[in-house]
Amino acid sequence: MGLKLCLSSTLKFSPISILRPISQSTKNPLRRSLLLVRALSADAAAGTTTIAPDTTPDDFRVAKAPQWKAAIDFKWIRENKEAVAANVKNRNSNANIDLVVELYDKLMNVQKEVEGLRAERNVVANRMKGKLEPSERQKLVEEGKNLKERLVTLEEDLLNLTDELQQEAQCVPNMTHPDVPVGGEDCSSIRKMVGKASEFSFSVKDHVQLGKDLNIFDFDAAAEVSGSKFYYLKNEAVMLEMGLINWAVSEVMKRGFTPLITPEIVRSSVVEKCGFQPRGTNTQVYSIEGSDQCLIGTAEIPVGGIHMDSIIPESSLPLKYVAFSHCFRTEAGAAGAATRGLYRVHQFSKVEMFILCRPEESNSFHEELIEIEEELFSSLGLHFKYASDFISSGFKFSFDVLTIVFPIHFPLAGLMTSSNFHRTIDMATQDLGAPAYRKFDVEAWMPGLGRYGEISSASNCTDYQSRRLGIRYRPESSIPPKKGKGSSTPTRFVHTLNATACAVPRMIICLLENYQQEDGSVVIPEPLRRFMGGLEIITPKIQIRC
Amino acid sequence: MGLQWCLSSTLKLSPLSILRPISQSTKIPLRRSLLVRALSAATVPTTIASAITPDDYRVVKAPQWKAAIDFKWIRENKEAVAANVKNRNFNANIDLVVELYDKLMNVQKEVEGLRAERNVVANRMKGKLEPSERQKLVEEGKNLKERLVTLEGDLLKLTDELQQEAQCVPNMTHPDVPVGGEDCSTIRKMVGKPREFSFFVKDHVQLGKDLNIFDFDAAAEVSGSKFYYLKNEAVMLELGLINWAVSEVMKRGFTPLTTPEIVRSSVVEKCGFQPRGTNTQVYSIEGSDQCLIGTAEIPVGGIHMDSIIPELSLPLKYVAFSHCFRTEAGAAGAATRGLYRVHQFSKVEMFILCRPEESNSFHKELIEIEEDLFSSLGLHFKTLDMATEDLGAPAYRKFDVEAWMPGLGRYGEISSASNCTDYQSRRLGIRYRPESSVPPKKGKGSSASTQFVHTLNATACAVPRMIVCLLENYQQQDGSVVIPEPLRPFMGGLEIITPKSK
Repeated sequence: MGLKLCLSSTLKFSPISILRPISQSTKNPLRRSLLLVRALSADAAAGTTTIAPDTTPDDFRVAKAPQWKAAIDFKWIRENKEAVAANVKNRNSNANIDLVVELYDKLMNVQKEVEGLRAERNVVANRMKGKLEPSERQKLVEEGKNLKERLVTLEEDLLNLTDELQQEAQCVPNMTHPDVPVGGEDCSSIRKMVGKASEFSFSVKDHVQLGKDLNIFDFDAAAEVSGSKFYYLKNEAVMLEMGLINWAVSEVMKRGFTPLITPEIVRSSVVEKCGFQPRGTNTQVYSIEGSDQCLIGTAEIPVGGIHMDSIIPESSLPLKYVAFSHCFRTEAGAAGAATRGLYRVHQFSKVEMFILCRPEESNSFHEELIEIEEELFSSLGLHFKYASDFISSGFKFSFDVLTIVFPIHFPLAGLMTSSNFHRTIDMATQDLGAPAYRKFDVEAWMPGLGRYGEISSASNCTDYQSRRLGIRYRPESSIPPKKGKGSSTPTRFVHTLNATACAVPRMIICLLENYQQEDGSVVIPEPLRRFMGGLEIITPKIQIRC
Repeated sequence: MGLQWCLSSTLKLSPLSILRPISQSTKIPLRRSLLVRALSAATVPTTIASAITPDDYRVVKAPQWKAAIDFKWIRENKEAVAANVKNRNFNANIDLVVELYDKLMNVQKEVEGLRAERNVVANRMKGKLEPSERQKLVEEGKNLKERLVTLEGDLLKLTDELQQEAQCVPNMTHPDVPVGGEDCSTIRKMVGKPREFSFFVKDHVQLGKDLNIFDFDAAAEVSGSKFYYLKNEAVMLELGLINWAVSEVMKRGFTPLTTPEIVRSSVVEKCGFQPRGTNTQVYSIEGSDQCLIGTAEIPVGGIHMDSIIPELSLPLKYVAFSHCFRTEAGAAGAATRGLYRVHQFSKVEMFILCRPEESNSFHKELIEIEEDLFSSLGLHFKTLDMATEDLGAPAYRKFDVEAWMPGLGRYGEISSASNCTDYQSRRLGIRYRPESSVPPKKGKGSSASTQFVHTLNATACAVPRMIVCLLENYQQQDGSVVIPEPLRPFMGGLEIITPKSK
């Protein structure tokens, strides 16, 4: 699904972007009011022009000069106005579909008018070619001049309307998979439940305490050197991080994904094209001073960008990548208990999966991605309890429908008192970011924190990102482009999907809290050991306090 | 031996730093304002002063943190310090430092004198006095107070100017370091010899392209030039190199770390780097006082900032893995081809904090670890004792390892090991308390019993440079590349990278 193509577009890339065109930028009052004024003034909303003085000259510049264009299918939006508006409402987005359609209609009218005037001007020009009375010629000259002036005005309107339409339409979120539950976070349905809640015969510690006792973190030094929510990993935590990265990359590579290490500094425009908002007061994105560059918040951005502005041969699809990168997030506005320790930090290592595929395959690849995640996480646990497919059967989760015990051997199994417990969730409409058509989150039980915490997520972005990044493919069946004018119809936008294979700090929380022993030691799950030089257990050390 | 300490200092950390106090910041115009002030005591036209903007004054007047520099030691060793500055081709002005210090001492004396006088006046006013006498004393006190306010203002300014100027003084230099420019650096060790090829060698850029393991073009679009994606076996090679280097160095008793890659600018400065200015190598974060690290030396140096380490904890040996970010402003030419000079790279860095008397031997240990690591990969390289003009401000001595890169057809730096003695610890405020010393008495603890540690840093593995080396040295006639034996266990047993049909 998603939006079909219409503007074959000028996906040009400009080095300096001061725009905030991404859909959740709806809190930017200036643009909205500015556009509303223009739109409504066509009707009888004369009084509303008083809003205009709120906008500074800068704001006008923002409204008038988008730095890049998404290839949005305005015509499709117009033809599916009701469905699109319902979707916007379901997702609690502020996008104004009426305005999009109105701007589009206006644009079409002005375009028609412009074409009409151009034709008239040609008629006048042709008439002036013959012999004419001076008075007659004078009249034609006047007429031509008049037409030209009207054209100049209209052409400017056309440009403004194009920009405004673009701006407004870029706020429209992706369409939504029909199975996605409508509503807020509490409406999200459980897709799968794995393992059972850990039972401890002793009082559990949270990962912060465990890390302190094991001498494997240093938050205090990091607060001095960098700021709060930074950390050093020390000793076995370093091995755990490197082990997790190597394990995750190699597990996903086994499944046919191409490994990548990506730039962590990218142009802001690429961040925007992936559906993130690099500027503004509440941005999650760190910007580089004196440049148009940002730090990535996820490898999804540089991997999404790797095929930017290109046409991929169909035979190369699907392209499956697994990328390791560090990720940087300002975490502006994040506060509270959930921010304790490693749970919400400014910098972390992540292994990310990314797929580019034909549109008809994206739902099944979405399924594949979430299954890879489920496999990875359950391989770090002991048992595995399946519930049936709640969504299709319509009934909400039941715990003991079916039990499969995986034959994983733990040499230190006697020490294990807990099991890995996680659940996969089909996120409700209001929990979807603008690019996602559907999103599955995996939440794991964190006994120390005493709650579930998100450890990964898998999104199908259909053509939302590819329409912004300009990633197309040429279906093989299509007729090869004729000489001269190549027909632009044979290319289509690919679908993109992204999914976390391993967000290291969240995994460290899970492993420490779930595999802690009464003596304060932590058992390393079997599959990770060979990536950690055979380490089986982290034991408390006697520390010399500095 | 580096500079001994004197100011027991106020090593306070301030959140916003607009300073550029690091020694190689000599191209900044505000320096002139200091010169003007200093020289105007002689016979210099003050017309230069008009070139200085109000901003520059603000910078001169408000240093954000203070290094614990031993001004007295500089004064007592003025000639040696000045000769060292000259040998290292620095612009630090020792005459000015000493002059400012003497002035400061004089003003301090004067201030103390005035304070004493004021006390005398105040005491005399306590008794019974004639009104005219009292009036005289009041006048005198007022007069003294005004002079004190002025002088105390001068004192503050002088302290700042002295700090500013003295922070430009580079570390002292090991007596064995050759004096002169790059060509004066001496070879400490030569390992192996260039491999002979029976076929036409490719450089790593061509090899990477043929093996489909890099993507510079996409990175140029997404990020800019000098960025890159690693693909396929190059990813395994990077991860393998990191794991190999960390585990090899851990074996030798180093504590592994992963570090923040965003740090406060002040920490960057305290390590001897210059986070601001037109030619800075440092990326800054917009709207904050934070920077991206150019090396893990910065966050590891900062881990014990403003603390006193028990002597029995020393030496502290760390091996840190981090990504590093550099603007590479001003870098151009052939040396910038491919992976050689890039904006972002992975590095495994060693860092030691130790007692002063041990730093020379730990420096040797570090360079030997490097030599061991690179020899075990079968590389041909030379170790250089870098000449004075090639030393950055913090280094007392620096060994570079340059490896043969057959595709580039030259030696290229793959690592370096520096002994920074107390240059960084005086800025970062890292001391230790020698055990033999008398425990501090109750009441006023004797601060004399703490000393500054020495810091050393050395590259265990700068990944892209190592990839250049490995690809170019281990290429085969058919375009494949053999993985050196020690790395294979860290790459899932991979023995050879072969060209793929795309």
